Amino acid sequence: MAAITANTLTELTRLKVFYVLLLFALVLIGSSIFMARLTFQQEFQVLKDISLGAMSIFTSLLAIVATARMLPQDIEDRTVYTILAKPVPRFEYLVGKLGGVLLLLTITTLIMTALFLAVLSFREQAALAETTRQMAGLPQEQLTEALRAVRAATFNADLIPGISVLFLKACLLASLTLFISTFATTNIFTVVVTVFIYFIGHLQGTAREFWLQEHGGSWISRTFLAVVALLFPDLQLFNLADEVVTGAAIPLEIFLKTAALGCFYTLIYLLLATAVFNAREL
Amino acid sequence: MRLVIVLLGVLLLGGVKLPLEHHLFITRAAHRLQSTPLDLNLREQIGQLSFVAALSGFRAVIADFLFIQAHVAWERTEWSRVLLLFRQVTMLQPRGILFWDMAAWHMAWNASVAAFNNPAQPRLALRLKAQREYFDLGRDFLERGLQNNPDSPQLCEALGRLYRDKYKDHARASAYFEMMAAKPGAPNYAKRFAVYELSFCEGREREAYERLMALYATGEKERLPTMISRLKYLEEKLDIPLDQRISDAVRR
Amino acid sequence: MSEPAVAVTGVTKTFPVPFKRQSVIAVRDLNLQVEAGQVYGLLGPNGSGKSTTLKIILGLVSPTRGTAEIFGRESKEVASREAVGFLPESPYFYKYLTGAETLRFYGKLCGLRGPKLVTRVDELLELVGLTNARDRRLGGYSKGMLQRIGLAQALVHEPRLVVLDEPTAGVDPVGSREIRDLILDLKRRGITVLLSSHLLDQVQEVCDRVGILADGILVRDGPVDELLAVENRTEVVFENGSDELGQQLETLIRAAGGQLIERRKSRKTLERLFLDATRK
Repeated sequence: MAAITANTLTELTRLKVFYVLLLFALVLIGSSIFMARLTFQQEFQVLKDISLGAMSIFTSLLAIVATARMLPQDIEDRTVYTILAKPVPRFEYLVGKLGGVLLLLTITTLIMTALFLAVLSFREQAALAETTRQMAGLPQEQLTEALRAVRAATFNADLIPGISVLFLKACLLASLTLFISTFATTNIFTVVVTVFIYFIGHLQGTAREFWLQEHGGSWISRTFLAVVALLFPDLQLFNLADEVVTGAAIPLEIFLKTAALGCFYTLIYLLLATAVFNAREL
Repeated sequence: MRLVIVLLGVLLLGGVKLPLEHHLFITRAAHRLQSTPLDLNLREQIGQLSFVAALSGFRAVIADFLFIQAHVAWERTEWSRVLLLFRQVTMLQPRGILFWDMAAWHMAWNASVAAFNNPAQPRLALRLKAQREYFDLGRDFLERGLQNNPDSPQLCEALGRLYRDKYKDHARASAYFEMMAAKPGAPNYAKRFAVYELSFCEGREREAYERLMALYATGEKERLPTMISRLKYLEEKLDIPLDQRISDAVRR
Repeated sequence: MSEPAVAVTGVTKTFPVPFKRQSVIAVRDLNLQVEAGQVYGLLGPNGSGKSTTLKIILGLVSPTRGTAEIFGRESKEVASREAVGFLPESPYFYKYLTGAETLRFYGKLCGLRGPKLVTRVDELLELVGLTNARDRRLGGYSKGMLQRIGLAQALVHEPRLVVLDEPTAGVDPVGSREIRDLILDLKRRGITVLLSSHLLDQVQEVCDRVGILADGILVRDGPVDELLAVENRTEVVFENGSDELGQQLETLIRAAGGQLIERRKSRKTLERLFLDATRK
């Protein structure tokens, strides 16, 4: 299993997925250039929004694209026969494959976070220096106040849970993609279905709450809402980042519950994938 | 056939995960972390595509994008566009205190001045009316911002300043600075500001004087020039006996 | 080792046709046994069910009816695969791995670790003659080399049975010769080999026993020599004989009531010619 994980990771890195990181760095740098005319609070807000938004889309895309091609590729190349003809249970094969993707996602998320924090702290230093210069000669109290405001606008500890939740969303998507690829016939099908689920997943919360709370509407629309609510995962719940960037605090309880839900989904889709894959004729 | 079984399996699991999701949703709503379902009117205002993206976790990025557009519109002094864009921005990102604050500032401080100096409108009364309207727009942004972010001292301060500098309503201004002082993380000038404003209110001079003296007594750090001058003014106004007045020596 | 290496009993496999009621029968009521130590060749035209049969034996496809066993263990069990190595038809391995890395990967899958794995990889590379190419990426391997690395990975855990699906398909005669030599080498080591092919000459050369599949039915099954022998004919080949000797033989045959059917110069096979011509 570890062998498959390591091998999948090698396979993915050879696919030059790390160019995504380069792109991310470009987004970071690019966004800090055109923010020159904003105040530091605006600048940090925009920098955080764009960075987290880019992280969200890059990790999600990476999860979907990297996972979608794995199984079909192995089956097409008949490599899957050589692996499953060894004493390797199919479950372990899938876990190994998913493990590789999750490892890749972990590495990319860590690198992106490091890049992001580096740029943020670089900009913070610049803003602190500028504030100190602007406020030279003013009372110490006011300077301290101003510097505190700069610091408050840059880092907040909630960025970390925000990013963790983005990562969990990507894990969920990887597992979901794996599940779909076990019965899909083409790569394109897998990607299209996953992206479709991705969008519906963000609307699922609204549909679910409407279905649970409102009791009006025709039975057709109610059935439709119920199907949406039951069939799709609520991906909106994994968007803590939108709230984090504004400085809203994330209570530990919510973070832990969201994390648990993410792990639950990842596991469930993996089990579903195994169920389908076990029954599949190769 | 197998697809049907898979679908049934997913539906069944859906029954398991549904209460979990709902529970988390409620918990988040309780902590004001659940973005309120987007107002569908928004769909007409920004393009279809951004609407889909807005729901897909790029709300913050789109809000920023519109915010920058608003910034450009401001530089071109297109006031109605600034207003429209800020409405969208704050709708997308209601937890963004900065956005509410900026929106109000543009309305009450910038657009109002432009309206008052509008060369195309010769009648003073109409120019004054336009200026008032922009004050109200600014106030509206701040009040809605405060509803969405009840813990924000920054928005209270902005409201205080708006009443003080624009409406010249010292009682309300004082009340908002007071409110600001009660918020977590409020800067310590909040209390002073509240009392300064109180000192301008007819009939509340005694109360203002007592609270100012209390602040004065907390130490050298509080004895700033504005405080001294307000105290001097109140001492005159209230006819405080000379021996009880603050000494001129502390005056910096 | 009295139990058969492979025992297929009453296996039928049907594949449903999407959106239609009927289904395609790939294999029909198949009974097949491969004794330990034999080289068994499964023959048949394309689409006759050879690959399906092999996949059923390996547990990659589950039979609609019947059972398949490897050394007495059902193919459905993962553990049955400990005793078998498989080389699928024209496989692609991970192109980015070198020959040695590929073998290491498959070795790890079989639970080999540490120094034991290292020596096993060296042994196998030696066996299939790829020691010189061990650190080259598979992306740069020729078809024949890929087939040989495929064979090596099938052998990594020292299985008692090796299943080869079209091992020589698409390989040039030199490569094909090498693979056949390897198969004979395996046989000498006492490893059972089950292979499928539609290249009959090659099967004839290496197999002890063959089965012929047509439309999913096993139409012939038996030892190669027996199946190919023509009961009432005998071939005689001699060297350095004159034409008269030939005449005399013909007279003798007539006298004994027999009939001479054909007399011609012995020829070497085209393959022999090719191999001699290309060998440097």
